[in-house]
Amino acid sequence: MSKKWLSILAALTLATALLAGCGQNSSGSGSSAPAKKVVLKFAAQADSTPATKALIKAYNAQSKKYKVVWTQMTNDSAQMHDQLLTSLSSGSSEYDIISMDVVWAGEFAGGGYLQPLDSQLVKSSLTKDQFNQGSMISGNYQGKQYTLPFFPDVGLLYFRKDIVSSADAAKLTSGQYTYQDLGKLAAKYAGQKGTKYGLVYQSKQYEGLTVNLTEFSKSYKDTKTGLQTMHQFTTAKWAPNNLLNYTEAETATSFTQGASVFARNWPYQYGMIKTGGNGIKLKTGQVGIAPLPNGGSVGGWLLGINKNSKNAAGAWDFIKYVSGKSGQKILSTKGGYLPGYNALLKDQSVLKSNPLLSMPGFQKALATTIARPVSPKYNKVSDTIQIAAHKYLSSGTGLDSAVKTIQTAAGK
Amino acid sequence: MKKTKLRTHWLGAALIVVFLFGMIFPFFWILITSFKPDGEIFGDGAFRIFAQHPTLNAYYEVLFNKNILTSVRNSLIVATTTTVYIIVIATFTAYAISRFRFPGKNLLLGLILAVSMFPQMIVVGPVYNMFLNLHLTNSFAVVLPYSTITLPIAVWILVTHFNQIPIALEESAKIDGASPLQILYKIVFPLAAPGVFTTAIIVFIAAWNEFLLTITLNSDSAYHTVPVAISFLRTQFQILWSEVSAATVIVTIPTLVIVLLFQKKIVSGLTSGGVKE
Amino acid sequence: MKKAGWQPLWFILPTLLFIAVFSIWPIIQSFTYTFFDYQLNNQQKSGLYLSDRYNFDLFNETQTYVKLFMSEDRPHVTAEADRARIDGVLKQVDAANQQFKGKVKIQKISSAEEKQLSALDGRVTSVVQQINSKYKTPNGKNLAQVIKGYKESFIKSNFIGFRGYAQALTDPRLGNALWKTTLFTVVSVFIEFVLGLFLAMIMNKAIRGQGFIRTTSLIPWAIPTAVAALMWSYLYDGSSGIVANFFEKIGLVGNSSDLLLSAGGAMVSTIIADVWKTTPYMAILLLAGLQNIPESIYEAADIDGANKWQRFFRVTLPMLKPAILVALLFRTLDAFRVFDLIYVLTNGGPGGATESLSLYAYKTMFGQTNFGYGSVIVMLMFVCVAIIAVIFVKVLGTNLMDKN
Repeated sequence: MSKKWLSILAALTLATALLAGCGQNSSGSGSSAPAKKVVLKFAAQADSTPATKALIKAYNAQSKKYKVVWTQMTNDSAQMHDQLLTSLSSGSSEYDIISMDVVWAGEFAGGGYLQPLDSQLVKSSLTKDQFNQGSMISGNYQGKQYTLPFFPDVGLLYFRKDIVSSADAAKLTSGQYTYQDLGKLAAKYAGQKGTKYGLVYQSKQYEGLTVNLTEFSKSYKDTKTGLQTMHQFTTAKWAPNNLLNYTEAETATSFTQGASVFARNWPYQYGMIKTGGNGIKLKTGQVGIAPLPNGGSVGGWLLGINKNSKNAAGAWDFIKYVSGKSGQKILSTKGGYLPGYNALLKDQSVLKSNPLLSMPGFQKALATTIARPVSPKYNKVSDTIQIAAHKYLSSGTGLDSAVKTIQTAAGK
Repeated sequence: MKKTKLRTHWLGAALIVVFLFGMIFPFFWILITSFKPDGEIFGDGAFRIFAQHPTLNAYYEVLFNKNILTSVRNSLIVATTTTVYIIVIATFTAYAISRFRFPGKNLLLGLILAVSMFPQMIVVGPVYNMFLNLHLTNSFAVVLPYSTITLPIAVWILVTHFNQIPIALEESAKIDGASPLQILYKIVFPLAAPGVFTTAIIVFIAAWNEFLLTITLNSDSAYHTVPVAISFLRTQFQILWSEVSAATVIVTIPTLVIVLLFQKKIVSGLTSGGVKE
Repeated sequence: MKKAGWQPLWFILPTLLFIAVFSIWPIIQSFTYTFFDYQLNNQQKSGLYLSDRYNFDLFNETQTYVKLFMSEDRPHVTAEADRARIDGVLKQVDAANQQFKGKVKIQKISSAEEKQLSALDGRVTSVVQQINSKYKTPNGKNLAQVIKGYKESFIKSNFIGFRGYAQALTDPRLGNALWKTTLFTVVSVFIEFVLGLFLAMIMNKAIRGQGFIRTTSLIPWAIPTAVAALMWSYLYDGSSGIVANFFEKIGLVGNSSDLLLSAGGAMVSTIIADVWKTTPYMAILLLAGLQNIPESIYEAADIDGANKWQRFFRVTLPMLKPAILVALLFRTLDAFRVFDLIYVLTNGGPGGATESLSLYAYKTMFGQTNFGYGSVIVMLMFVCVAIIAVIFVKVLGTNLMDKN
């Protein structure tokens, strides 16, 4: 049996060598590294900012032993997940360091594809509380820390400072308000200064719906009220009629083009407004930031080490650098990412490059984050939540069964 | 009589126009979108035919910053290689099936058909493992597993076409002492030209469109093909619609040229073949 | 037909080789998965285990953690007796480390070793529980989680025989996906066939502007499916999609945003996109068939006084049979596997109304990392398609095999 396969493979290799001869010789991107440095492969999503590139350059410049090569993955995160899963589950050492969405950590750790980092943390005299808490919780599975933050993200409420009265703005910024209050404000201000809609957020049937329901339902402590509020908002006069098809993209378009007064989105939307262009009609001066009523979900990306990596020590060296002070500073100043290293939240050059960080509403939001469930079966959990929630939101019937399904899935 | 003929003529022409309009419209709209600045793609400007502030920005971006032409080159290499080698081996097999009697022939046809019934997602994992062990990831060897999506249909189309070629010609060639290989390449292959070129187009387009295998096996951007390169035109939260549109327009041009060339051959096969009895 | 000894083998060998390596080998692997509870997100199930094993990697990891956390917590434990307990258990941990030194990966262990490892688990667990009930140490909570690793290092056989298939037979989501896939396939392939035949006949006619017609009508097919799906998601967009807007204007949907949000609208939308994309493919296949029909046959029909319709039904269609068979067969197989289009446009929504079998299999395999059950879905899909194929070949295929 195995002999037969060997001969088939041998024949194929020959054929391949003929077919691919030209291609393989002319490639050599990365194989031209200086002979002495050990090459570490870093699988991370493409970056529209120059930050990741600058980060890797800086690391390579300061490291005598290692050279990191970045394999750019697509920003289509489901596709990236599948690629990583295929690679990790095959036991391959193709990648040494892996960038992962916060919700994948439980799955990859549960499958035994990542190396836990606690001993390394101790050896490098680092403690967990030096890093963004939400990110650290997302990467902690069965008491073991599998990841450090690449960059954290948090859900925020954006509002129009030029429309909302200063009294209402102060209330929002303090975080002392409920979703019902927000609904009333949306009704009150919708239509003013050329806006069409009150509040927009993500409720298409996809991961974003789970994120938003987590926020509306206080981390599934009150799923029923959360769902009811969402349905009430969906059918409200001030809501766009296709709110149930909204993702971050629609939300950002609506808010940055001046069509809505309130929007729930990630910090990147602030960067869009700051950069301007592309049909963005708002200026940063018109935009206020507030924490969400029940706290904002934690998003963002984490770094972990492939268990089968042949250069685990090097991989740790790189992660330590990226998640540490110098790495996070580069990401924050060059790419506008939130720093996952807490000390940087008081660093002047970081604060200066990212005005968001010194806004009281944002600081409050960072202090009141909530996490999605950490589970090796996260995808199934989230899938169930999305389907049940979307079904209820689009039909308005079957609230009780939806609540039951969602509660069971979320393990509450 | 003449009047009704004229009316049906006009009716037919109108039908054709409507039909073609339907076929072309979505692409036409993407063409229009590719000249719009991002702000006019969604929201107020979305239904305008001509952009208020037309821009070539998206074209500039995909051509010079996203290197779409590299991926076009890769796609051309991959699709052409696949087409050539698949046509060669499929021709042999189809000829054998069409002309020889051997045990298990129907079983073979059924087997070839059966393997094309499985979704590609189950092929990816094992092929990835195999490529890793043979150090073939990040190379143009990705054309080898493309056989799984192209070979079955190639064999089947060719069998139907070979079957329609009268056997008499071959018999006389055989009497003249031609070997089966000579018969295949000197007589059957040219006679089956429309079928061969149809197969070639289908294989070419299938390889051109393939996404899953190539993104999994070739993660290095130097080997990205067109569909993979287009899937990279997004940020974490947004799809870069203007760039996707511009890239779609750019990458459609080479395929159309090739399809046109092949098309001519299919149609000329009809007239120049000269063996229709 | 000739009877030729070994000659045919040389002709079919390359095809056989390719199919064996790149199609059959992966399929056999998937088929094997169907008999196991094979889940990638769980270390006890992420392999194919016919018999019980022990995961030494996880064991070593757990040992390291127990040592690390217990030593860190020791200063927080005040009573001397409790400290002695910790020291005692740490000694046992060390002894076990010595004994199993160098053992890695997943191996078989003897029943004596099994007993010993269970005992260690029990010992560590009871100490951790005792300490946690008395003190609040920094790692107490984590430690309680970490020691689960001892139990999880024992791997039971995950061979389940035909239970995966049994589960599938009572899975309502699978039934729904099968029905939606069939609906999608039948409707889209039928429309594509009618339109494709129409297009092929236009292409086959010498009319003015032929070059233009051929080129434009092939555009949809030349656009990669993944890209075409993206394009359509923009055209169907509830607020800015021109097609959705057009449907609203002509009254097909009450509101453009309902198009992808209602079960019917979502299905119709995916079918339209699929028809648009693959009609040219159908046309190309049929065109090649049309060109194989000798002009002389039509001339003979004309002499017999056949009108246009008779010509079409008595000459064109029968002569086109092999081409139709291939076109319908391969289109049906493709449509039955529909994935990209639905994945991008609706992701199976709303509420599963457009979930195809491929999408369900994909979500099970890559989303939930349950490759065992995902493979079961794929195998059942194969059975369905195989039945369809047999019917096609029986109905249309006789003259494909018997010619010559």
